[in-house]
Amino acid sequence: MAESEEEVDVLVQRVVKDINNAFKKNPNIDEIGLIPCPEARYNRSPIVLVENSLGVESWCVKFLLPYVHNKLLLYRQRKQWLDREALVDITCTLLLLNPDFTTAWNVRKELVQCGVLNPERDLYLGKLALTKFPKSPETWIHRRWVLQRVLRECCPQGGVRKGQSEAGGVADGEATPRAERLQRVLQEEMKVCSEAAGRYPSNYNAWSHRIWVLQNMAKGNLKVLHDELSSMKLWVSMHVSDHSGFHYRQFLLKALVGELSQALDWASTHLPRPTADPHRAHQANGEAAAANGNGNGTEDRQRPGVPKLFEEEMELCTDLIESYPGHETLWCHRRHVFFLWHHWRLELSQTAGRHSDESPGGSPLHSAGAGSGAGEGGAKSTQAMDVDGALGGGAGGGASSYTQDSKRLKRGPLQPRPPALHSEHSFIAKTLSACRSPEQGRFAAAYRKWLDSVIAS
Amino acid sequence: MGTQVKDVVLKPDAPTTLLLDKHADYIAAYGSKKDDYEYTLSEYLRMSGIYWGLTVMDLMGQLHRMNRNEITAFIRSCQHECGGIGASIGHDPHLLYTLSAVQILSLYDDLNVIDVQKVVEYVKGLQQEDGSFAGDKWGEIDTRFSFCAVATLALLGKLDAINMGKAVEFVLSCMNFDGGFGCRPGSESHAGQIYCCTGFLSITGQLHQVSADLLGWWLCERQLPSGGLNGRPEKLPDVCYSWWVLASLKIIGRIHWIDKNKLRSFILACQDEETGGFADRPGDMVDPFHTLFGIAGLSLLGDEQIKAVNPVFCMPEDVLQKIGLHPELLS
Repeated sequence: MAESEEEVDVLVQRVVKDINNAFKKNPNIDEIGLIPCPEARYNRSPIVLVENSLGVESWCVKFLLPYVHNKLLLYRQRKQWLDREALVDITCTLLLLNPDFTTAWNVRKELVQCGVLNPERDLYLGKLALTKFPKSPETWIHRRWVLQRVLRECCPQGGVRKGQSEAGGVADGEATPRAERLQRVLQEEMKVCSEAAGRYPSNYNAWSHRIWVLQNMAKGNLKVLHDELSSMKLWVSMHVSDHSGFHYRQFLLKALVGELSQALDWASTHLPRPTADPHRAHQANGEAAAANGNGNGTEDRQRPGVPKLFEEEMELCTDLIESYPGHETLWCHRRHVFFLWHHWRLELSQTAGRHSDESPGGSPLHSAGAGSGAGEGGAKSTQAMDVDGALGGGAGGGASSYTQDSKRLKRGPLQPRPPALHSEHSFIAKTLSACRSPEQGRFAAAYRKWLDSVIAS
Repeated sequence: MGTQVKDVVLKPDAPTTLLLDKHADYIAAYGSKKDDYEYTLSEYLRMSGIYWGLTVMDLMGQLHRMNRNEITAFIRSCQHECGGIGASIGHDPHLLYTLSAVQILSLYDDLNVIDVQKVVEYVKGLQQEDGSFAGDKWGEIDTRFSFCAVATLALLGKLDAINMGKAVEFVLSCMNFDGGFGCRPGSESHAGQIYCCTGFLSITGQLHQVSADLLGWWLCERQLPSGGLNGRPEKLPDVCYSWWVLASLKIIGRIHWIDKNKLRSFILACQDEETGGFADRPGDMVDPFHTLFGIAGLSLLGDEQIKAVNPVFCMPEDVLQKIGLHPELLS
C-alpha cells in the first residue's frame, strides 16, 4: 500500500470525516470498538456502522492517531490554525482512540466554555470512550468538570439546594426545565457509571465518580440514596468480588444513616414545636436539585429506620457469605457495616447523654429512637438471633438465597434485630465449624481478630 | 466448593535472579523508538515516563547512559508561562508532570533549568480553600495532587509556600475506617492513594495522625499466596502495587509484617529474560513504569545490587541526602 505523506493525509482526512458523518447519520451510537483487520480492503471505508455500534478497522489506526495527535499539538502550540468545527471533529477522533490525552479534553472544555460545544454532547463523547476504555481516568475527570458546569447552569445562584428553591420560587417558567435537565443528567450519569462498572470489575474510577455525583448533584437527597441502595442490592449480589461496588453500598449506608440521624437529632430537640424550621426540614427530606419532588411524609414513614437498615444489610451480607464462600470482598463489607453500626450506636448514646443533660426526661421521639438502637437493642438482637436461628436456614443456599423475603415471612413482624458483637461471634463460630473452603476459614478468623482488636478494644 | 483465589502461580522456570544488565539495556533503548505508535499513544504522560526511566537507571548506577542535555532542554520547553509543566511539548501544564520534571532535575542536580519561583507560584495557586489541591487550572481534586504539591515543594525547599494546616486537614478527611485513604472524602481505600497520603503525611511531618497498626493490617492483607501484592481486595497481584503497598508499609514502619522472600520471588518472576524490563505480572508485556517499581521494590526489600531507594519520593536516597531531605518514617 502506498504510504506517502500526502496520501496518508488524504486518507486520514477522509476517515475523520467518515467518523463524524457516522455520528450525524446515527445520533444513537452507543458503543465504539476496534475491528481486528491488519490490512486495508480497497474501496471500503475503515469506519463501520452496525446498528448502534461504531467500529474502526485496526489497520487505519496507526495512520489516524499520529495524524490527529500531531494536528492538535500544532494547534496548541499556535503553529497551525484550526477552526472550531475542525477542533470538535479532531478531538472527537483523537479521544475515541486515546481518551487519556488530557490536553484534548482541555480543548473541548474551552469549546464548551465559548458555547461551541453543548455540555450534553460532550458527555456523550465521554460515554462512548468509556465503552472501550471504562477506566480512563481523564475521561472521568473531564465528566466531573462538565457536570459542574451543568450544575452551575441549572443553579446559577450557587449551591444545589439554594438553586433549586430559588428556581422554584422566582422564575417558575424556567424552573421546571432546569430541574428536569438536572434530573436527566443525573440519571444518565448513573447509567454511565453502571455500564462502566459492568465492563471492568472493581472499577475504582467509575465508582468514585458515582460517589462524587451523589455528593455534588444529590447531596442529602434521601430519595436518591434509598433508590440507589435498593437498586444496588441486586448488582452487588451478582458481583460478589467487586470491592468497589460494595464500597459504594457502604457509602450509601453511611450517608443514609447520617441523614436519618440528623433528622432524628433535629426532631428530638425541635419536635414539641409544631412549626419546624423549614431549612432543616428541607435537609431531612433531602429536597435537593435532583429530587423529583418527594419529601412526602407517608413515603418517608414507609422507609426503614437506622436499626432496620443495618439489620437488612447484615442479613444480605450473611446470605452472600454463605452462598459464595471465600470472597474477601464480602468479609470486608461485613467489617465496614459492623463498624458503621458500632459507631452509630456510640454516637447515639453520646447524643442521648447530652440531651438528657439538657432536658431531663427527653422527648418521647428521641427516647424511642435511642431505645430501639443504643439501649437494649444489643441484648434484644442477641436474643432474637439465638432463638430464631435464621442464620442456619441460609447455610448452603443457592444463588437465589440473597432474597430475604421468605425469611422475613417466617419471622413475622418483629422488632428490628440489628447486629451485635455477640451474634457476630456466633456467626463466625458457625462459619468456621461448617467451613469447607480454606479461604472462608481464613477470612472468618481474620474477621474475629478484627472484631477483637478494633471493635472490642 | 471454594472459590479460586484471584492470584497467579509462579512457574518453576520463572526468573529467580536479578537481570540488571538486561534492564539497563531495555531502558536505554526505550527512548530511541520515538516513531513507535505506542510512543505516540503514551505521549500524554511523557514527563513521568522519563522520570521512571531515569530513576530506575540511577538506582542501577546507569544514569550516565541517558542523554542529559536533550532531557533538560526538553523539560525547559515544557514549562508554561504560568509556571506549571506539561507532559510534553504542546501539552497543557499539570501538577503530575510538574512533580516528574522537578524529580528529574533533582536527579541531575540541575533545578535552575526551569523557573523555580514560577513553579512554586503554580503549586501555591492550585491550593483550594479546603486545603485540597487541584491537578491543574480545571479544578479536579484528588489526594494524589496533594502529594504532588508537597513533594514538588519539598524538593524545591519551599514547603512554607502553602497553607500546611489546611492541606493536612484535607488529606486526613480522606481517611477511611480501615485506616486507608481514597482519592476524596468518602472514596474507597486504594493502595496507590494510600502511598500518596502516607507520603504526604511523611513530608509534612504528620505521620502520628495515621492509625499505623490498622493501616498496616489492611496493607498486609494485600499479600497473596504467590507473594505478590494487590492494590485492593480481590484484585490480581501487580508489581506496581507491590511497590505502593511496600513503600507505605516502610513509611509507617510495618514492612516486616509481610513475607519479604515471597514478594521478592514474585517481583523477580515478573522480569522478561529476553527483552529485559519488568511486567505487571509474570509473562505480561514489560514497560518502564513496572520496571522502575520492580527495581525500587527490590531495593526496599534490601537488594544490595541496587542503590537504596527513598520510599516517599521513589528516588535514590543519595539524591535526597544531597538536597538535605529526610522525610519522616515511623519505626
